Amino acid sequence: MEKSFFIDTTICTGCRGCQVACKQWHDLPAESTKNLGTFQNPPDLSFMTYKLVIMKEEVIENKLNWLFFPDQCRHCIEAPCLQIAENPNAIYKDASTGAILYTAKTKELDADAIIESCPYNIPRKREDGTLAKCDMCNDRVHNGLKPACVQTCPTGTMNFGARQEMLDMANKRLAEVKAKFPNALLLNPEDLNVIYLVAHDPKLYHEYAVASRSKVERGISRKVALRKMMGPFASLLRA
Amino acid sequence: MTNHWIDLKNSDCILIMGSNAAENHPISFKYVTEAMRNGAKLISVDPRFTKTSSKADIYAALRSGTDIAFLGGMIKYILDNNLYNKEYTAEYTNASFIVGKDFEFKDGFFSGYTKGKEGPSMGSYDKSKWTFEVDDKGLPKMDKTLENPRSVFQLMKKHYDRYTPEIVSTITGTSQEDLLTVYKTYAETGATGKAGTIMYAMGWTQHTVGTQMIRTMCIIQLLLGNMGVAGGGVNALRGESNVQGSTDHALLWHLLPGYLKGIKASQDTLTAYNTKWTPKSSDPLSINWWQNYPKYSVSLLKSLFGDKATKENDFGFSWLPKADDTGSYSWFDIFDAMFKEKIKGFFAWGQNPACSGSNAGKTRKALEKLDWMVNVNLFDNETGSFWHGPGVDPSKVKTEVFMLPAAASVEKEGSIINSGRWMQWRYQGPKPMGDSRPDGDIILELFNKIKELYHKDAANGGNEKAGKKGKKNKANKGGAFPEPILNLKWDYTTNGVYDPHKVAKEVNGYFLEDVTIKDKQYKKGTLVPNFTMLQDNGSTSSGCWVYCASYTEDGNMSARKDTTDAPNNIGLYPKFAWAWPLNRRILYNRASVNAKGEPWNKDRWVVKFAGEQKDGKWTTNKWDGDVPDGGAFPLENPDGTKREDGKNPFIMQKDGYGQIYGPGLADGPFPEHYEPLECPVEKNYLSPQMTNPTAVVYSTSEDAHATCDPRFPFVGTTYRVCEHWQTGLMTRPQEWLMELQPQMFVEMSEELAALRGIKNGERVKVSSARASVECTAVVTKRFKPFKIGNGIVHQVGVPWHYGWRWPSSGAEESANLLTPSAGDPNTRIPETKAFMVNVTKI
Amino acid sequence: MDLNRREFIQVTSATAAGLAVSGLGFDLMPVKAHAQMLKTKYAKETTTICCYCAVGCGAIVHTSQRGDGRVINIEGDPDHVINRGALCPKGASIKQLVENENRLTRPMYRAPYSDKWQAVSWDWALENIAKKVKETRDATFEIKNSKGQVVNRTTAIASVGSAAMDNEECWTYQAMLRSLGLVYVEHQARI
Repeated sequence: MEKSFFIDTTICTGCRGCQVACKQWHDLPAESTKNLGTFQNPPDLSFMTYKLVIMKEEVIENKLNWLFFPDQCRHCIEAPCLQIAENPNAIYKDASTGAILYTAKTKELDADAIIESCPYNIPRKREDGTLAKCDMCNDRVHNGLKPACVQTCPTGTMNFGARQEMLDMANKRLAEVKAKFPNALLLNPEDLNVIYLVAHDPKLYHEYAVASRSKVERGISRKVALRKMMGPFASLLRA
Repeated sequence: MTNHWIDLKNSDCILIMGSNAAENHPISFKYVTEAMRNGAKLISVDPRFTKTSSKADIYAALRSGTDIAFLGGMIKYILDNNLYNKEYTAEYTNASFIVGKDFEFKDGFFSGYTKGKEGPSMGSYDKSKWTFEVDDKGLPKMDKTLENPRSVFQLMKKHYDRYTPEIVSTITGTSQEDLLTVYKTYAETGATGKAGTIMYAMGWTQHTVGTQMIRTMCIIQLLLGNMGVAGGGVNALRGESNVQGSTDHALLWHLLPGYLKGIKASQDTLTAYNTKWTPKSSDPLSINWWQNYPKYSVSLLKSLFGDKATKENDFGFSWLPKADDTGSYSWFDIFDAMFKEKIKGFFAWGQNPACSGSNAGKTRKALEKLDWMVNVNLFDNETGSFWHGPGVDPSKVKTEVFMLPAAASVEKEGSIINSGRWMQWRYQGPKPMGDSRPDGDIILELFNKIKELYHKDAANGGNEKAGKKGKKNKANKGGAFPEPILNLKWDYTTNGVYDPHKVAKEVNGYFLEDVTIKDKQYKKGTLVPNFTMLQDNGSTSSGCWVYCASYTEDGNMSARKDTTDAPNNIGLYPKFAWAWPLNRRILYNRASVNAKGEPWNKDRWVVKFAGEQKDGKWTTNKWDGDVPDGGAFPLENPDGTKREDGKNPFIMQKDGYGQIYGPGLADGPFPEHYEPLECPVEKNYLSPQMTNPTAVVYSTSEDAHATCDPRFPFVGTTYRVCEHWQTGLMTRPQEWLMELQPQMFVEMSEELAALRGIKNGERVKVSSARASVECTAVVTKRFKPFKIGNGIVHQVGVPWHYGWRWPSSGAEESANLLTPSAGDPNTRIPETKAFMVNVTKI
Repeated sequence: MDLNRREFIQVTSATAAGLAVSGLGFDLMPVKAHAQMLKTKYAKETTTICCYCAVGCGAIVHTSQRGDGRVINIEGDPDHVINRGALCPKGASIKQLVENENRLTRPMYRAPYSDKWQAVSWDWALENIAKKVKETRDATFEIKNSKGQVVNRTTAIASVGSAAMDNEECWTYQAMLRSLGLVYVEHQARI
């Protein structure tokens, strides 16, 4: 059965347990970083950072907010990267979980085109062109465990389960938080297996919280234009 | 914590003040979030908008060090608006007690003050001026109408009448509007059946008025009836995995295990000592638990000295060291004495004082004056390697240093106790890495070697070495006073290896003879089921009486993993791990019921009386739910008649009442606002007395202070981040965590950055009267300047996780180089949360 | 969509080779995760309580039963009633605390005025510490204080630590220190 994440940012405390649990499970090395005047670090996702809590300080209606957005691959239901790659040995979907998975063979792909195709700006390449991103902890999921980031989350921000169950949870929670945050919304729930709930304008959290229109258009000008209109793209272009 | 982590979910209103739980106790937010999803309000009061504030319904900023003013204003609000819980306040607290004639508060001083002559204490009070009026039986006089002008209630009202929103706002920098929003929201928990809780940490303890900050909140919790109930209590979020256990086991100079008192020189016999610390109450309604003191002290001596402790030798009482009656041997005093070359040898065991204590520069200089030091740790650190630290020339440092590699927690077996007093057993995963060893093995082996030397001396009929070298020695037969060393019970091995189970059993305690208690026989050599069976005649042992019941003939209680909840279904999980005392999960739980034993809140009840009744009278004694405090009958029968065998709920207090008036503290029975030792204002708006007149302040050449000094115009404070721990000794050598928080930083407002021309992310210098530290500027909206009186006060904050040894660049230093040598008079905990600094571009 | 068996073997063996030569213990190669066996499958499982703050979160330690018997994974214990599997970033990183090349693994000694550490044996270190303790204690022991009261102590040796030790170790440590006559006994709770 297809699986989904439900990420409720309204209760995220930015502890970053998810960020470290991801590295721990995947044995990913640390990046050498500097303090750049913010708690957010590393500054960006990378070949060895699949999960990143993006932090923003925003004054909304005269009230200061510290917004936390645990960014990761959305495991699109119809994933542009997969469609463009056209190489199931490199990028494929695990039909049983819905995970979009990259293999070592991504090295054979046009890495920049793949990166360009992602409306959420997720895949990252290393020098030799191999691509990497969140793999849904597919090994854990197949063995009945939750993804590392979900298991480690203290507050219930990160949730994982059967898609319908997550959609129900997301809708229920959206209704609950509307009382406090009337502008709350779910981000592209019909197109993605990673459903975010945000309390405010998603652009305040992260440039790529919702599919980036400019990125879609750039993508379309290239190889994507040859393909059919896919999930997140379609909704954006419809808008 | 009077309550425990899971219990936070039962609260109606959570005040997080003096801590940043989302950052430093992240898993607590599992339960804060759950409470909020059930409708609870979260209030965050902090000088800086934190991760905790980001989740709060209400955020109020206050200037560091002004919490008593803030909370004193809340007491006034509660009293002025009649929002206190009347039944609880009158029946369960000492609000009704009549205070003696000598008590007075005037011009910032309580009665009985004498200025200190030679420091470090700035002065002290004669507490005999603060006692209650007593009747001819010695019981405190009371007026349960609370109207007597000399009642605690009326004196409290008068005391806090000065704490108006205008004055409080002037001191704290919090707007009156924000103050009133917080007061109103929190005071709603005074309604019967509602629960409010406080989560605090070092943001309250680390001040010259730290203890009194906590006391102010205790008063609020008592007035609102929040003590003892589910979702209530006073909850200190302790910061180290076993700091509760290390405190329980008295790795502190003023205590012995189980909160027994450290021995003073004037207590020359066990009887004198026991008499001094065993309170007497002639009130039949008071359990006065500490009346059992001698049972616990004698059982401790039997654990320490085994068969060698006999009635004839006072159970070895004289073998324990005694402190001078007026002496203080606290952290500050250690490094002060060390700096003055009075200390020769030093153990820094699992600790990094070169970064952790306030005014760490003085600590580092003090280490150079030692003859020898032993440092036990997982990693090399700023303490062990002080002799090649920044600015130190190794060729001038005489100190011999032994650095011993300790095993990590997952490489050994044993128990730790969390902030909610849950004792939990850990198991060994891998073996200790390389040649590292568990602390227990190191202690055992080291003491074996020490003992061997003393044995040898004794066998040679004297102190051979001292004799040879002709050294002067006060007691050289067999080395100086060898008795405690040779007589210490030290049989904690199995097959020659340290065995934590053997120690855990000793800590619980044994019957040392066949004993009959209430017609039941207990065999010699069996484990004592619980501390109500401990004896003062040497027939039982217990290394720490509050742990008695943790390891019994039924097994190791701390290893239990049963996830079934108790019938009240409030998350007590009584068969999961074990909590002291007696597996009680919520302290003072007898205050969660009314005089008849019925819970204030029927849905979230903690205990309830379930005895049988006949003709309106209880006939049998039975409580349901949590392990009740004391377990006596309720104060009243179902028909409302008083019971002679009923007991007051606060069993650890002599009279059985919660203490709104606290005559035992060094700095006064009511908390009073004073400015920090280093402060940005010229005046205390509440009294002519600027600072706590009993604060401790040190005064060597390394103890510089600067208050209202234009060279240091900004308030500084220290705190922690989620990704590092304490001095960072265990987290800075880890890449994953360093990736997230790689460098020492200083957070400041956009306004202050503009004032100093500082750009976000650039390196700047933060200086205090003690030192300068280089930091990366984090310019943020989360700090805002405070309007204090007619002026603007800026505040900055620095994390205290860094030190030169890691990262290897050596460029990141400890925030505690900046912090002052001043502390609370009750605890001598340093004032690292409020001091004065400057911030400049490099 | 799935790879056929031959291709699968190619991919995984390339990955395994990558692991073997990386030397860092890190596998930088994104792998066909769902085809993999859990890395913890054959590991010994023990429970622990997190060594950082005092929430007291439970964790599961997976220790390799092969080779050097070191930790391969530490994660939150879902059956622990407090944290229910959750861990903060420090807790989530305990494996790196334990399996860390920066750890001290041998007793070290620094002689007076020396500019270096030297590795020493446990026996040598503990014997010499014991001698220092005895020398200092014997030379400074006070039977009576200046008021003539019996005090039986030494104020020339001090100890700080440790809230990082287990209860049993804390109790044993304080017993040792008090038998030696120390009154300067303090730890983290004071600061």
